[in-house]
Amino acid sequence: MIYKYSRHSGLFLLLIITTSLLSFNVTGDRHVNDFSLKNVNGKLVSLKDYPKAKGFIIVFTCNHCPFAKLYFPRLNELNREYLAADVPLIAVSSSDTVVYEDDTYPKMKEKAKKEKFGFPYLFDEQQAVAKNFSAQKTPHAFVIWKEQGKYVIKYSGAIDDNGANPEKVKNHYVANAVDALLNGKEVSEKETKSIGCQVNFRK
Amino acid sequence: MSYSRIKLFTCIACLCLLFFTSNAQYNNLHIPDTISGTTFNLNIKDTFMQFLPGNQTITAGINGDFWGPTLIFRKGDTVHMNVHSYLNDSTTLHWHGMHLPAVMDGGPHQVIPPGTIWQPYWLVTNNAATFWYHPHLHKMTEDQIAKGIGGFIIIRDAEEAALAIPRTYSVDDIPLVLSSRSFDASNAFTTTSPYGDYMLTNGTMNAQVGLPKQYVRLRILNAELERGYNLGFSDNRTFYVIGNDGGLLDAPVAVTRVPLLIGERVELLVNLGGDAVGDSINLVAYNSSQPFGFPGSEPSSTGPFGSLLNNVDFKVLHINVTAATANAITALPSKLVSNTYLTAADATVTRSMNVTDGTPGTGIPFYFDHTPFDLGTINKTVNLNAIEQWTVTNSNVFGHSFHIHDIQFKIISRSSGAVNAYESGWKDTYYLPVNESVTFVAKFSDYADATHPFMYHCHVAPHEDGGMMGQFVVTDPAGIAATQKDPADFTLYPNPATDRLYISFSDPTMTAYYVRITNAVGRTIYMLPRPQLAGGIDMSHFAFGVYFLQLTDEKTKKTITKKFIKE
Repeated sequence: MIYKYSRHSGLFLLLIITTSLLSFNVTGDRHVNDFSLKNVNGKLVSLKDYPKAKGFIIVFTCNHCPFAKLYFPRLNELNREYLAADVPLIAVSSSDTVVYEDDTYPKMKEKAKKEKFGFPYLFDEQQAVAKNFSAQKTPHAFVIWKEQGKYVIKYSGAIDDNGANPEKVKNHYVANAVDALLNGKEVSEKETKSIGCQVNFRK
Repeated sequence: MSYSRIKLFTCIACLCLLFFTSNAQYNNLHIPDTISGTTFNLNIKDTFMQFLPGNQTITAGINGDFWGPTLIFRKGDTVHMNVHSYLNDSTTLHWHGMHLPAVMDGGPHQVIPPGTIWQPYWLVTNNAATFWYHPHLHKMTEDQIAKGIGGFIIIRDAEEAALAIPRTYSVDDIPLVLSSRSFDASNAFTTTSPYGDYMLTNGTMNAQVGLPKQYVRLRILNAELERGYNLGFSDNRTFYVIGNDGGLLDAPVAVTRVPLLIGERVELLVNLGGDAVGDSINLVAYNSSQPFGFPGSEPSSTGPFGSLLNNVDFKVLHINVTAATANAITALPSKLVSNTYLTAADATVTRSMNVTDGTPGTGIPFYFDHTPFDLGTINKTVNLNAIEQWTVTNSNVFGHSFHIHDIQFKIISRSSGAVNAYESGWKDTYYLPVNESVTFVAKFSDYADATHPFMYHCHVAPHEDGGMMGQFVVTDPAGIAATQKDPADFTLYPNPATDRLYISFSDPTMTAYYVRITNAVGRTIYMLPRPQLAGGIDMSHFAFGVYFLQLTDEKTKKTITKKFIKE
């Protein structure tokens, strides 16, 4: 009935605020900071290490999440396709490793080896990069573009619209966004809802 | 066309669409697997399931994708649960309807952190009936039940086994868990309204099942977030209620409709012997024109309490009649079991509570007696073995589903008139409509524990999450009071340990009330309520490193922490 408890009204308000902020930021071309995170090969990776890159596909993912697992082969495909066009893919794990032993750095190394990752898989131990991007779920993809020395978010959300059945995908959101940007066009769908496991931020 | 007409037209169009789409294609009813025996391994995890075309829906399941296995218990067995949570969030698992020690109950206090194994165990003393298990983490119950965490428990006993009633699981004895869900544009569950747009029967949309041409037993559970069901068959045939929440009735009760509120179970016998093979019949929720306050009677199809299934009749299950089985039950038993119920005269303590607050337009939730639930407050203390009479009065604005842990009770009066014959058996949950007082009598036997409380609450998920809950402890006045002195000490051996860790108490009468093992970074690995420690604690699967064992002493309830190493 009409008498809903306060938690939800609070949540609603929060939702309204965050969605309005997000949409404001997207239309106002929200940009993110460069970072320096440890890759599974032990080396530090930053965006400035890619002087030729026009932009990046940044995917927040993790080992343990069943929905993230569905996308590992697709991350390799996206990287293969767009690395050649100077839009490399970088995967970042910002999962709380106190809660998830599966997402610890040694397990990330194992996963990258087993799944033959052709892209960097970075350990965001402090969760600072996920917070800077406002990553919500695993997987949560961002397409960022270099504009006047800044990294501007051009797309945020799901990788595509079907997790378990790649052959049934109708909208390749990330690929569509990168294709549009490479052709000098506006991204038609700038934001979708990322679905998967919640990124739990440590307090 | 006026606005209201447009709205009416849209509603009708929606309903037609729903009707036609639901007719267009049936999906075979999912029937959960069973687990029998005395050890039950339950793995709770985040997963996903295909409900609608397009993207999958993120769900959570136990040993599966949505809704868990049916646990078959035998009365008299001691059952051991290995609950392993792989969830992102903490959770709890409550054994709804079970009579057991409070520390095993899985209420809001028995929080299972992510990655932890919780091992409660208890002697099954409940009668043969249909129970269930579900999360009970305060303020998170709605979200976690919505994701699909839960399952049936079926208890079997000698009295039930002696009766000529259907009991072949998934053949003539069918579990049906009723709930509904709504989806957002990316096919994710949304609980913006607690009333879903899509009926899910055992997690199946537009469910159909083939049932044999004979008497069939349906064990129905309302596992909704908020909706009530007024169940009947599409040809208005008479069917028979044979069991309530906590056991079989004395004799079958003939009905054409039976209401089932959130958390309640009912066992039905329906005769398909008069139907032709190939005939179809529907189990229907006759939810239109329910009185105000019946959850789901709201007229809105959208908004915070809207749903396409509100205030309409809708299909719950499409039944196709198939050939009779070899050992078909073809007659209705005239008697079931002999119950000895408590009466008002047995009660030595009388309590009454009111449903309060829930002020329209202010967002104030419902409470009992103006007291929001507080984990640190014990609202009532009950003496061990007391027979008590509880009256809950709802002069407030909306209906509720009252549930109490630990006990099965007998409803002795409803202020609106006589207690319905179909709810005359052992109950743990009942419908509390607007402007009604309901009184039950129950005995609080066997399990005294001054530390861990049991809950009583409204089972409407947003209501209990909002604070319409209280807690009581059962205490033994004759028992030894907790002393002020320090507990006896203990040692861990071998240390370092490899396969098993043993505990040696300096005082042989000392027993453990609770053992919790955490690793070096504070992550909880094991939660062991009243562990049986003679055989040691299995740590073969532990990673190498330093761990801490916190042991709470049974007598003093004081906790001592010891360090040990696994190599």
